[in-house]
Amino acid sequence: MVSNSTQTITSKDIQTTSFLRANPGRKLNMVLAFAAVLLLVSLVTWGYQLKSGLIVTNMRNSFSWGLYIATFAFFVGIAAGGLIVSSSVYLFNIEKLKPFTRIASLSAFACTLGAGAMILPDMGRVDRVYNIILHPNFKSPLVWDVIVITSYMIVTYLSVYVQLLPDWKKEGRGFLNGWTKTRTLEEIEGISKKWSKRVSIIGLPIAILIHTVTALIFATQASRGWWNTAVLPPDFISVAVASGTALVLLIALLFVGKDRFAEYQEAFKTMALIVAGALVVHFFFAAMDLLIHWWWGKPEAHEVLSLVFGRYGLVYATEIFLPAFTMIYFFSQKSKSSFNMLILGCSLLFIGVFAHRMMLMFPSFNAIPLSLSLPGIGIENWAYPIAMGEFQEGLPVFVSTWAYSPTLVESTIALLPFGLVIFVIALALKTYNFLPEKN
Amino acid sequence: MRLGMVIDLDKCIGCRTCAVACKSHNAQPPGTWWNRVFTPGSTFHQAAVGKDGRLQMNFLPVSCQMCDNAPCEKVCPVGATYTDERGVILVDYERCIGCRYCIAACPYGVRQFNWEDPKKAKQRAGYKTGYEYGHPEDFRDKDGRLSYTPNRPVGVVEKCTFCIQYTSKGEAPACIRSCPSRARIFGDLDDPESEAGRIIRERQVFRLKEELGTQPKVYYLAPVKPAR
Repeated sequence: MVSNSTQTITSKDIQTTSFLRANPGRKLNMVLAFAAVLLLVSLVTWGYQLKSGLIVTNMRNSFSWGLYIATFAFFVGIAAGGLIVSSSVYLFNIEKLKPFTRIASLSAFACTLGAGAMILPDMGRVDRVYNIILHPNFKSPLVWDVIVITSYMIVTYLSVYVQLLPDWKKEGRGFLNGWTKTRTLEEIEGISKKWSKRVSIIGLPIAILIHTVTALIFATQASRGWWNTAVLPPDFISVAVASGTALVLLIALLFVGKDRFAEYQEAFKTMALIVAGALVVHFFFAAMDLLIHWWWGKPEAHEVLSLVFGRYGLVYATEIFLPAFTMIYFFSQKSKSSFNMLILGCSLLFIGVFAHRMMLMFPSFNAIPLSLSLPGIGIENWAYPIAMGEFQEGLPVFVSTWAYSPTLVESTIALLPFGLVIFVIALALKTYNFLPEKN
Repeated sequence: MRLGMVIDLDKCIGCRTCAVACKSHNAQPPGTWWNRVFTPGSTFHQAAVGKDGRLQMNFLPVSCQMCDNAPCEKVCPVGATYTDERGVILVDYERCIGCRYCIAACPYGVRQFNWEDPKKAKQRAGYKTGYEYGHPEDFRDKDGRLSYTPNRPVGVVEKCTFCIQYTSKGEAPACIRSCPSRARIFGDLDDPESEAGRIIRERQVFRLKEELGTQPKVYYLAPVKPAR
């Protein structure tokens, strides 16, 4: 089992790191290489976009946010898992989950990093990003999102850091831990235990805030009926609890491997139950949202609904049916006991949640806010055309709808957070021990 | 002082002269229009709409509504969009980070993004080289903020400024001066002596999407000509 790739790891690690017994480090190296390729390709493509402008995307004036912002919202959502899992351990005494608090914190940290990275290519002037610090406008939900996401990044980093301290002390290595040299292992273990708990308690409200504030970016805008609802922030939280926990579950499953699945089965079952429970809440919110949009019968609301169920019906079906399948499956005893089924359930959920994020954009931007109803002449909801921002021979300059779908360049750049998240997680798993032996 | 505008829809003939004057005076790149005129209810401009043989044709010019409660200004994370001392909403082209939150926030679809370098866009569209149209000089406000420049930087948002380069000198915006039927009245809404101020006090005026509470400073006089 000792392959070339494990040479960098000390012999002590080989004894204690269960993952290496189950899965050779070579697998992680392959994952790292894959992530590095994703990163490289997306960065080079981003360079091309910087040179040409955002014209290389398919966004235009009437459809001004697309794949980038949807991907950003996706990563914010799946970043929730970390502190939800650790907090469940400390606040609700769900001891079963304790072996996975490190993986949970790591996944949260990596996804926050990914979300932050995704925002940068969306900016027309990324070279001026420092203006957010120099001239912040505290009325803007975007500024608050920067604040809470940065805080969450720090807290999740600290969470990983304090949990790894005792290992680092034992192994005589680590990162920014010079201060531990003068202390004994017992002391460090005490500090680690105490601060792990403290950090996760501080982190929980921040975890809730990143979803709340990200949702508020959209929900505050009365110009877009599809966003402008008080149910959006709580719904973001429910989706985040489901998808964030599913990510921890997925990483934990892959890390533990099929061979040792039985050993941690109770933890997996608990996580699957959290996912399913959160999805019930999400579907309730989604149903209330649709009902209220439909009931009053404003033409604007009906237009949005016709986009949701008509033109974008397929995307919406993906958003509803895949997570619904996961929910039902994760409630059943049988599927919770199957390694493959749990992986399938998580994967379907991610596709569904990604569709959910895209559906934030499609109905919103294709229902032009400046629509007029002219009573008496039978004109309802006439959309005032918007200048596209680009002139192309044969194409209209003024549009009242825009069939947005990401360009190849855009899709490639959107791989950036995926590359970054996989890279950070794989590198951390390879370097340090993220699955402590059960006491 | 609150600069504002009243547009008399009975006088508007839908000729789009204001849109063209606006575009050329402000050096807008191809595909970018700060000012638009359409025929409500119709897919084609200048085509009558109606039913049972009763047709009518009205026109609605729309540019920045200069809201008192401007969502674009509130969402801007860096304060690049701001209201000047005369109530005009401006964009600081040197501060805008290009996040386009303001475009999502604006209910009137008037905000335009520089998806590519305007110079490149003009060249690509086959505009005459060596000829630069539009007001040639930069305009900086009293704090030195760049709120007009003939070619805006790539990756920033732009929109109507009430022709800040002219109105700052006491001249009228290009759309006002170019309107052949004098459908547009521009002035200080706070000044009871101004024509615009008088109209909004004395006549039945309406504003677009009033229900959103954006409180625009662009008012409309509804058309009263009969359908035929």
